[in-house]
Amino acid sequence: MKILMKSVDMICVSNKDGKISPIKYKFVGKDEQIHIVKINRILERNEERLAGNRMYIYKVMSIINNSQRVYEMKYELATCKWYIYKM
Amino acid sequence: MKKYIFHIDANSAYLSWQAVYDLQHGNAIDLRNISAAIGGDKSKRKGIILAKSLKAKQAGVKTGQPLFEALKVCPELTIVSPNYQLYMKCSDEMTAIIQTFSKKVERFSVDECFMELSCENPIVIAYQIKEYIHKTLGFTVNIGISTNKLLAKMGSELEKPDKIHTMFKEEIMEKMWPLPVNELFMVGRATYKKLTKYGINTIGQLANSDIDFLNQIMKSHGRLIWHYANGLDSSPVKKDNRKIKGIGNSTTTPFDVDDIRYASLFILSLTEMVAIRLRANNMMCHVVHVSYHRASKGGGQGRQRKLITPTDQTNTIYQTALELFKEIWDEGPVRHFGVRVTMLNTANIYQRSIFDEKNLEKKRRLNQNIDLLRVKYGSQTIKRASFIASGINNVNGGVHDNYPMMTSLL
Ligand SMILES: [Mg+2]
Repeated sequence: MKILMKSVDMICVSNKDGKISPIKYKFVGKDEQIHIVKINRILERNEERLAGNRMYIYKVMSIINNSQRVYEMKYELATCKWYIYKM
Repeated sequence: MKKYIFHIDANSAYLSWQAVYDLQHGNAIDLRNISAAIGGDKSKRKGIILAKSLKAKQAGVKTGQPLFEALKVCPELTIVSPNYQLYMKCSDEMTAIIQTFSKKVERFSVDECFMELSCENPIVIAYQIKEYIHKTLGFTVNIGISTNKLLAKMGSELEKPDKIHTMFKEEIMEKMWPLPVNELFMVGRATYKKLTKYGINTIGQLANSDIDFLNQIMKSHGRLIWHYANGLDSSPVKKDNRKIKGIGNSTTTPFDVDDIRYASLFILSLTEMVAIRLRANNMMCHVVHVSYHRASKGGGQGRQRKLITPTDQTNTIYQTALELFKEIWDEGPVRHFGVRVTMLNTANIYQRSIFDEKNLEKKRRLNQNIDLLRVKYGSQTIKRASFIASGINNVNGGVHDNYPMMTSLL
């Protein structure tokens, strides 16, 4: 997997306990087209506090270009931004 | 169980904190592994080096050096502008982790803490702290272990980075005495010069010098560093006192002051000190007090004023203090001045107001940089032009002239 750290527009769910889960996101690809990707499954959740900066890390599964991909996304609490982290 | 003191010090703090933050945001390059430095503004080639990587250090880049000079000795130097908010966060998180190991933690500077703990095996604890900080926050620390603060600090200064060192009394002959005397805590540039003039080049030579002789040439400071060289220090680990009511400094003047120019310089020099301490505590003040005592027959006056919005700015405090002084001064000779600020709040939750000064953020950054310089190189490093040839110290109030400030008191 390669580190991408590409920011995306995300639709996510924040449940009653404050647990945040990504649902689907939109980003502009290299082809300058808008892509919409659905998160099919969340396989793992982790949290990091590097340099005191909290981020949630999600290992997720999506169908991209007709193939099933497992990759990682990040959510930065201080800025409320979502990123494709590693793919 | 025995009582131990630990000194925990982040390795090239600003630089490694920035490096970790950049990596977290997908930066492919680790600033710690290349020639890199934190400082001013590269595009304008202005400002100074605040922190540097090991590679930059080997190339001859020095902390405090102007950027253009650093780029001369190391043209491939990557320069990153400082991000003080990030550094405060790293500092807070590091302190918070250390506080999970002991209730007695003193934050000594932005990247250093002292910790007191009674335990069986301090080395095991130190490894736990070091690894926990590394794993959680992503940066490395050095830890010094001893039975007093001075020796713990001298221990953490030994080989870096990511190391643990003990510096017990019985080890100082071997580990501390061979070091050059300017590596001793509180031996600044001026002291170093003086000591070498008398042939004192190592900490060991200082330790074995005659204390009366040192007292003669350097007064109380001479006695202090003699004690330090012998590993003697009994200062307690002070828990963070976040509820300070006020910060004030006062000074007795060496001559009768009956001229507003001199009076304003004394008030300014005291304000400099008060404002540095205020900012060092990450606080803002809402009230400014000024007071003076008359030369003859004692007596004096004081007055205070509430500001429209809280501030940590030297200029704002100074202007208010001067205004107040002008209101209460009867133009008679003065021998004592005092400046004090109260109603303190933490600077983090500062509310913006329409009454804010222009360019407040810029001014705050300026003050932060001036503070850093003075802490590192002494109060005389940078001063206002009005003090030139005045014979008055530019920063006043119970601190040894020319020695590192703020953190200078164990
Ligand atoms: Mg350090």
